[in-house]
Parts: sequence; structure tokens; C-alpha cells
Amino acid sequence: MSYLSLSNITKQYGDAVVVDNFNLEIAKGEFISFLGPSGCGKTTTLRMVAGFETPTSGRIMLDGEDITDKAPNQRTVGMIFQSYALFPNMTVAQNIGFGLSVRKESKEMIKQRVDEMIVLINLEKHAHKYPYQLSGGQQQRVSLARALAIHPQVLLLDEPLSALDAKIRVSLRSEIRAIQRKLGITAIFVTHDQEEALSISDRIVVMNAGLMEQVGTPFEIYNFPQTQFVANFVGSLNTVKAEVSDPAKGLVTVDGVQFITASDIKSRKKGDAIRISVRPERFSFAEIQKKDNVLDCTIENITFLGSVVRIQVKIGNSNFNMDTFNNPFLELPKIGSKERVTCSKEAVLVLDE
Amino acid sequence: MADTAMKPAKMISAPVNWKTWLGVAPFLLFAVLFLFLPSLRLVTASFTNPDGAFTLENVAQLVSEPFILNAYKLSIQISAITALGGGLLGFLMAYAVTVGGLPKPLRSMLITFSGVASNFAGVPLAFAFVATLGRQGFVTHILKDYFGLSLYDAGFNLYSFAGLSLVYMYFQFPLMVLIMAPALDGLKREWREAAENLGANTTQYWLKVALPVLLPSILGAMILLFGNAFGAYATAYALTGGRIGIVTIQIGAQIRGDVLYNPGLGYAMAIGMVVIMAVSLAGYSWLQAKTERWLK
Repeated sequence: MSYLSLSNITKQYGDAVVVDNFNLEIAKGEFISFLGPSGCGKTTTLRMVAGFETPTSGRIMLDGEDITDKAPNQRTVGMIFQSYALFPNMTVAQNIGFGLSVRKESKEMIKQRVDEMIVLINLEKHAHKYPYQLSGGQQQRVSLARALAIHPQVLLLDEPLSALDAKIRVSLRSEIRAIQRKLGITAIFVTHDQEEALSISDRIVVMNAGLMEQVGTPFEIYNFPQTQFVANFVGSLNTVKAEVSDPAKGLVTVDGVQFITASDIKSRKKGDAIRISVRPERFSFAEIQKKDNVLDCTIENITFLGSVVRIQVKIGNSNFNMDTFNNPFLELPKIGSKERVTCSKEAVLVLDE
Repeated sequence: MADTAMKPAKMISAPVNWKTWLGVAPFLLFAVLFLFLPSLRLVTASFTNPDGAFTLENVAQLVSEPFILNAYKLSIQISAITALGGGLLGFLMAYAVTVGGLPKPLRSMLITFSGVASNFAGVPLAFAFVATLGRQGFVTHILKDYFGLSLYDAGFNLYSFAGLSLVYMYFQFPLMVLIMAPALDGLKREWREAAENLGANTTQYWLKVALPVLLPSILGAMILLFGNAFGAYATAYALTGGRIGIVTIQIGAQIRGDVLYNPGLGYAMAIGMVVIMAVSLAGYSWLQAKTERWLK
């Protein structure tokens, strides 16, 4: 049974539809990410759950209660903002205790909860500091503690890591996830960073132009994107035009080069124009005999990306990127050399337009 | 996770070229000629009698002459009242056009008006009020002729303490608008949303977050408004002709010498004003230090 339910949520500003018929059921303790480019409606949806925006139509149910029309301060929903939004006139401890203080909790109870939260975020030495005396990562941890201090039913995180540098971002997202698991709290995380969403979520909702493109686990979203948009937005992708040559056998042709796909194209007719996609890491030079697609190619370019080496190959008249792990003890092919690459038929995706 | 609290970067002072000082030379010269030297003259003249001899009589009169004490009392009263009244009105108007969400063109209009009105003082301001709210002012006549309301029969008098306070308000509240509008703009929307999200109502947000954040700006503005009224002379003189004996008018009387003539006493009274402003500023600095301890 779903804990948080968003049913037929639509948000319009004048004629502009920002969120269009959004439906989502979230289980208790689940960590959901809203992933999409700027302006796709993910933050607006989050703000509707928080109560800062009212849906034009649709209902929001939380633990069986309709909260659609409840004021933000009547919902027990914790929110973390991109800019931390810590109160500058209060210390770390006062910020964390603010929610309990306005709820008229006893001083003893507030102190106990604040102490718990400070231990949880590992900032014991900073309890009496003001926000300006903390780094961005520390401020965001205080923001997390402040949101959790009120025992929220749902935790909302609006791009909480965007303002942090790369290293802190990675460590803090792990910390957020660990705390969320430890407390078993239901969380919605808004991000435009696919790596962040893939690494932290139980499920991802990919959004585009106010619409839900796909909902699935990170594994499903990455490996089995259902739409062109999802495939392009999540991870790198080679996409080329192809022609159906044998629908029954799953054969397609790209500039005269034949590929076999595991995608169901039986409903297509021979000669139909389609687009196929292959992720760069699904190509390889090894184990040619076991693969379905064995393709002659020319090495066009090699780019060193740290842990990965990106090799641009020309198959027929089309360029593809292939990624291989960096290994200093393996020799890379020379630019201009003729090679053979391979990929499984499952790697060749036929996407909905 | 490693603690990475920010530490303030050490300031490295680069050697200053003497040519750089040329840029501020006009200001320094101006300050010496028109601030430091007159202040020095003020101090020395306070201890000089009309014959040019040293005396403590002028300073002694500051605390012994009832008319001087009354002048200070009046000046402090009118300054405090118009600072509080103008401050409150200006704050509310600034709030209305910033956080209050009134249409943006209204904000532009108010800010432009405030820029002009905050500098509109002296004889022109006094005349403007006489022409509108004086005994023969057109607003006075309109109210009487069309609405049957006689302001002066109802007790209003433009040439009284209350009338003078009203006139002062005209340049006080725009100054508050000009100072508070940017400060109110500095209140982040996220603070309000975070407070609401944590369960706070509007009153709790204002009492616990917004007002404490704004307090240094409000205090600074109030002291500025106080000083603005405390030092005003021409408006009061043009409007009341010296009938309301605030300090600046008493100083003018001592120096101009139509009836009274004791420049030394006038200078001593000016020193008294400097002391009052210095005490006010010291109080402000103390309060500011208390309220701004969370700022960098």
C-alpha cells in the first residue's frame, strides 16, 4: 500500500502547463528521485508536496490523509533547500531546534532531540557556531538535521547537493542515503544529476516538459530506457537511424551494416525507418565469438577520461563511441587501425520516439 | 566526514602607491576644511566669552539654563517621535512594495518619490505644507468647504509641535523606505519557506527570523532618522519662525544675535548636540554588536 500518493496532479500557470497529469505511488521508507532537466516540473511537484504550490487539479494523499489543501506549516513534511536556507541569526543548535520550538515542545525535549540530531550529522563540535562559520557541506548537514528534528512523515530534498563541490557532493549523498535508511524515512530527492539519482535512489522518476517519461529502479532506467529522452538524458548513448530488414529475426541495417536487436520489432515492416541506440560501454573488443553483433570498424579517435577511455569508431558510415575501462597494462588500438567490435543484441535498443 | 569549517582568509595588504592617495586628496582636504577645522573652532569657541576670554560659563549654562534644557528636550522629543513614526511608516511602506508583493511599478514610483522627498526640506518644504495644510492651505479649505471638517477648529495646528512633527515626517519616512527596501529584499524566500515547513506561522517567522535579521538595518536607519531630525533647522525656522525652541533654533538665535547674542553659548550648545549624537551612536554600536553577532 502506498504511503504517499500523487494522483492526476496538474499544475498550470496561466496557459503554461508545468506538471501534466502526474501520478505516483510511493511506499513508506522508499527513496525516490525526480530526475530531469531544468524546467521539467520536478521542483514544482516537490513544492506541491511541501504545500508551497497548490495543484491546479489532482490530489496528494499522505498516510491515508488528503493533504492537498493543507498549509505548509500544517504538514509534517521536512524540506531541504538547495541554498540550505539556514536562519543566519541562529546557531546550529538553534536552527535544529527551531521546528520544535515553534511547535511549543518543552525545553528538555528540544535539547534532547537537538543533541540526537547533532550526533547524527556528526557536528558535535559546531553546535554553537553560526551558519557563516560552517562550510557548505556542514550547512547542508545542519539543514538535514533541522528537517529531521520534527520527525517528518516525508523528507523532501530540493537539489540539496547542487551548490557543493564534487567531493563533498559524493560523500554527503552517501551520508544522506545512510541516514534515510537508518531512520526508514520516505524521501523525495530532486536532481538534474543522473549520477546522483542513479546512485542514491530506490526508484527514479524521469521527467521532461512536465510529463513523467519513465519510472523505474536505477537499473531499469539506465539499462532499459523506454523513451528517446530517457535514453539520451541518462548516461551517454549512441543513437543512429536504421532500417528494419527482418522484423521476425530482429535485424536492422545501419548504412548497409546489419545489427541484430533483442527489442521487439515484429510489429514493424521491412524497410521501416527506426532509431537504434547502443550505450558506449556495451561495445567491446573481447569475446567476439560469444556476441551477436560482430562489426568491422575503424578507430577514429581515442579520448582519455580518467577511469574510462572513450574510443570513437566508425562502423559503416556511422560513428559510435565505445567506452572501456582504463587499464595501463593493456595496449589501446592505434588511430586509423581496422578492428572488430562487438555487442550483444540486448545492447541494441529500439526506442519509442 | 572531515570537518571543513571555513576560516577567514588572511588579508594581504599590497604596498600603496602615493599616486593612489591623490584620488582621495580632495576628500581629505574637504574633510579638514569643513569638518575638522570647524569642529575644532566649535570646541575652542565654546570656552570663549564674547570678549574672547576663556570661560566655563557657556558649558555650565547647558545644564543650568531652563530654556536650554527645554530646547534639548524638545529636540530629542521631536527627533525620537519622527524617527519612530517615520520609521514605522517607512518600514510598512517598504514592506508593502517588497515582501508585500504590490505591483512592481508601484515600487519604482515609491522609491523615486522617496529619493526626492527625503531631500526635500527647509524653506520649500515648510512653504509646501503652509500652502496645503496652513490656515489658508488648499487642503484645509477643501476639507472645510466640501467635507465640513475644519482642521484648525478640531485642534490641528501646523505651527505647533505636532504640526512640525508632521512636516518632519515628510522627509523621515522616505529615508526609511530608501534604507529598508534593500534590507527587506535581502530576506530570502527560502527562510520563510523553511520556517513554514518547520511549522512556524507568519508571526513566529517575523519574530524569530525576519525581524532579528533586519534589526541591525532597522537600528541603523532609526539612528539616521534621529540625527536627520535632530540637526534640522531651516524647516523648523521657516515654519514656526522660532516659536518652537528646538536646539538648532536656539543656537541660531545666539549666533545671529537679533535679540540674544552669545556665540560662545551657541557653540557650546552645538557641542551638546555632538555629545547627544555621539551617545546615540555609541548606543547604536552597542546594540548593533549585540544583534549582528551572527554576521561575518
